[in-house]
Amino acid sequence: MCRIPASQAVRMVRCFMIKNFFESVGRYCLFLKMVFRKPEKWRIFWRQFVMEADKLVLSSILIVAVISVFIGGVLVIQTASNMSNPMLDRMYVGYMVRESLVLEFCSTMVALLLAGKMGSNIASEIGSMRISEQIDAMDMMGVNSAGFLVLPKILSSVLLSPFLMLLSMALGILGGYLVVEMTEIIPTAKYISGLRYSFNGFYIFYSCFKMSLFCFFISSISAFNGYYARGGSLGVGYSSTKSIVTASILILMFDLIVTQLMLY
Amino acid sequence: MIRVEHLNKSFGTFQVLKDISVEYEPGKCNMIIGKSGSGKTVLLKNIMGLMQPDSGEIWYGDRALSSMDYHERQQQRRNVGVLFQGSAIFDFATVLDNVMFPMEFFTDWSRAQKIERARFCLDRVEVTGVEDRYPAELSGGMQKRVGIARAIALNPSFLFCDEPNSGLDPHTSILIDQLISELTSEYNMTTIINTHDMNSILDIGDRIGFIDGGRMVWQGSKDDILETDCPELKEFLRSNTLIRNIIG
Repeated sequence: MCRIPASQAVRMVRCFMIKNFFESVGRYCLFLKMVFRKPEKWRIFWRQFVMEADKLVLSSILIVAVISVFIGGVLVIQTASNMSNPMLDRMYVGYMVRESLVLEFCSTMVALLLAGKMGSNIASEIGSMRISEQIDAMDMMGVNSAGFLVLPKILSSVLLSPFLMLLSMALGILGGYLVVEMTEIIPTAKYISGLRYSFNGFYIFYSCFKMSLFCFFISSISAFNGYYARGGSLGVGYSSTKSIVTASILILMFDLIVTQLMLY
Repeated sequence: MIRVEHLNKSFGTFQVLKDISVEYEPGKCNMIIGKSGSGKTVLLKNIMGLMQPDSGEIWYGDRALSSMDYHERQQQRRNVGVLFQGSAIFDFATVLDNVMFPMEFFTDWSRAQKIERARFCLDRVEVTGVEDRYPAELSGGMQKRVGIARAIALNPSFLFCDEPNSGLDPHTSILIDQLISELTSEYNMTTIINTHDMNSILDIGDRIGFIDGGRMVWQGSKDDILETDCPELKEFLRSNTLIRNIIG
């Protein structure tokens, strides 16, 4: 029997992975080219856009609201317990909670949450349409299936997700306020003056931009994985898992890149 | 008319289709038959343009499929109706919306006109009273009928059916076959049916092509299939008990 040396086997696996990676990136770019073709009929596109906005964004309001309130509350407790030094003004608890929520939690945390909720929804919906030949049927009618199914999802999530994030910010701050009121961990007036201290409006824009970018990754990558799903229900499950993992990694990676580019 | 010339298709090192040449005429039920894994579906998908052949050409009338750009191909597809093996009717739409789907994209008709046409197509395939139901609420036979209604919604010149009888009881299979045959002559469509159902072959197969191991080894009609000398086809036919008793 022919044996391959371990080092050569490792090299072969690496080559295969690199080739696979570039192949996927190429296919993803071609997929986006199909998605961003001009819609056949704008009337149908807008109808789909509204439906997707409802399905992907509006339906996420409840879960985003719940986690935002709790995160705001937890942040207040954690920040206050780490600032017990009497030399530090308690106002800074409110300030730090606001900065944490605005800069990081409400965009990145919510995006990671949406990667799970929205990503699995998109990948499994499109994946099951692929394996049941519904996408082939659409293509055979002369309809640009990628454009019809994916473009409204991408645009609705990219355009409307910043509103979800703004809601998350407001509710996070409210959550913190409720904890302050109920536990009196710091004086309410200090919390409020901290929230109003040294506010930089650019941070809101920065967070909105991040959120839109993250939602672009979530929707396009999930749609891409679903669109090319293969192998029955197992393939749909695999595409869904792959979408969540890939989108989460990209979110964290681009969080670093965008922060470096926009804040320094 | 559809003409296939010297078509070859491989997946990796495995050649699925080997030098297939065949012509499909309008107004007739043209059948592709063969065992599972013989390459029937791959041939049909190549003809439909859902797969790219390695070599060879497919002609729709006087236009070669490979010479069409994206827009021309999309235009060409609007003239095609397809019935998929699993019906492939859209889960997200009701029966009526499914049949209206191609009209929404490619006609400027008013909503009333679209509904009228959709109802006509549904009547034609004998599906009534379920317009507002979703596909999951229909039986397999009903789903196939809705699939056919959607396929003929825009009066196509070409109709492709991939195993239209799979998963159906014999009675419903006969009804679906008759429906396809009637619509083919009524609209003078070039119909290509991919099947291994012997009843369909003998019932509506105006022109039959038998594929074995990726090669088109026999072509003829339902009238001369039982007198064939082709050993591969004989072996295929013998798998049906009734036919085995006839051909020995």
